[in-house]
Amino acid sequence: MAMPGQLMFARRLGPTARLLIWLLVGLSFVVLDVRYRALDGFRSGFSLLLQPVREAMRAPGDVATEIGGFFTRHRLLQKERDALLAERARLLLDLDAAQDLRRENAELRTLLQLRARPGQQVVRAALLYKGHDWFSQRITLDQGAAAGLRSGLPVVDAHGLVGQVSRVYPRSSDVTLVSSPGHLTPVHVERTGQRGLAAGGGLGQLELRYMPAQTDIRVGDRLLTSGIDRMYPAGIPVARVSRVSRSRSSPYLRVECTPLAGLDRSRAVLLVLVAQPQVATP
Amino acid sequence: MSTPDHARGSWRRILGTLTLAVLLEQMPWSGWALVLRPDFVLVGVLFWVLHQPARVGFATAFFLGLLADFQDGVVFGQHAIAYAVGVYLVTFLRLRLLQFDPYRQAGQLFPILLAVQMTVLLVGWLAVNPPAGLAMLLPVASGTVLWYLVAGFLRLWHGKGLHDQA
Repeated sequence: MAMPGQLMFARRLGPTARLLIWLLVGLSFVVLDVRYRALDGFRSGFSLLLQPVREAMRAPGDVATEIGGFFTRHRLLQKERDALLAERARLLLDLDAAQDLRRENAELRTLLQLRARPGQQVVRAALLYKGHDWFSQRITLDQGAAAGLRSGLPVVDAHGLVGQVSRVYPRSSDVTLVSSPGHLTPVHVERTGQRGLAAGGGLGQLELRYMPAQTDIRVGDRLLTSGIDRMYPAGIPVARVSRVSRSRSSPYLRVECTPLAGLDRSRAVLLVLVAQPQVATP
Repeated sequence: MSTPDHARGSWRRILGTLTLAVLLEQMPWSGWALVLRPDFVLVGVLFWVLHQPARVGFATAFFLGLLADFQDGVVFGQHAIAYAVGVYLVTFLRLRLLQFDPYRQAGQLFPILLAVQMTVLLVGWLAVNPPAGLAMLLPVASGTVLWYLVAGFLRLWHGKGLHDQA
């Protein structure tokens, strides 16, 4: 007796043959995407399709946060306000110093006849979605080409560099995080000025590569973007050195760093619109 | 099993569950919930391949795999190939799987989900990067648990006991 769904006479291909056909189709998708980047339009289509869905699915979380915020105790708010006032006073002092420095800097620049740094524009964006990618670390933001974003722009939050825009869709964009495996960031050590390359190590960590064994570097040193390669503007905080170790077999130090930006926590980020971004790694 | 009586409703049910699975994956998961999140779409597809093989097959799985590839921002084809492999394995073991109670069925599903995840790993490894850590095996375990819950719920819904009476 024939089972339902199972034909009496074989008129269609068997499962193995069909599997092979689909594997071939899949492989051609992989090759088209990796080799020729031919499927970006397809990606944009999916993004247009899923954008409203994602925004809708974000709503329950937002409502929960709102309700949670409503019940925040009055005292906590007061404490926060006091802290903010204190910080504002401190920042105002810093601002005076910064204005002084800017004036001085402008004078020095004219002396050196250097071009003034173009005014930086920023775009605000919020975290829309976080993918389940095991091979690189990405987040999706809710701003895209419509807000003037391009591939290669640096993404920062209040504490430091978050990553770099790697794909732009009409109304959303993918950001590769600094801790993504193999993602390189040109940095310098704030204390000594020593330049180097910070590579993402996955698992939310960075590694400072190719530091000769006699380099002066200590736990706690801050790494800032160096501005070399014109990928990032100079001076954005990237990471703090968390461990330095020597190995006998390698001429280089092993320097582990922790990113300063809240890669896992921040929900609102800023995109710095620099003049001519260059994509580091796709 | 599809009988004419059930045929009308089953399309709606298939579409409904798969849409629900896609919606669940679009939620803004983060932290441990993201690491442990089972692959709802994969479990949904394999479930319908097991119970409605004439309606849900390679093509559906492949398309939903492309969707998964998009939402994780990975290479197109990575999940699509893996889902096709999963459909093949379930088709191959279908009559065997249908004989088991939910607990054992989930046990049998574990190696299938593992094979699917290993395919994702292999394709990603060949196409892009070596993976970061073994955390990618956690959704296999949570997917198995999800399968147990779904299959068990369905049996209770149909008024059968959770375990086979010997």
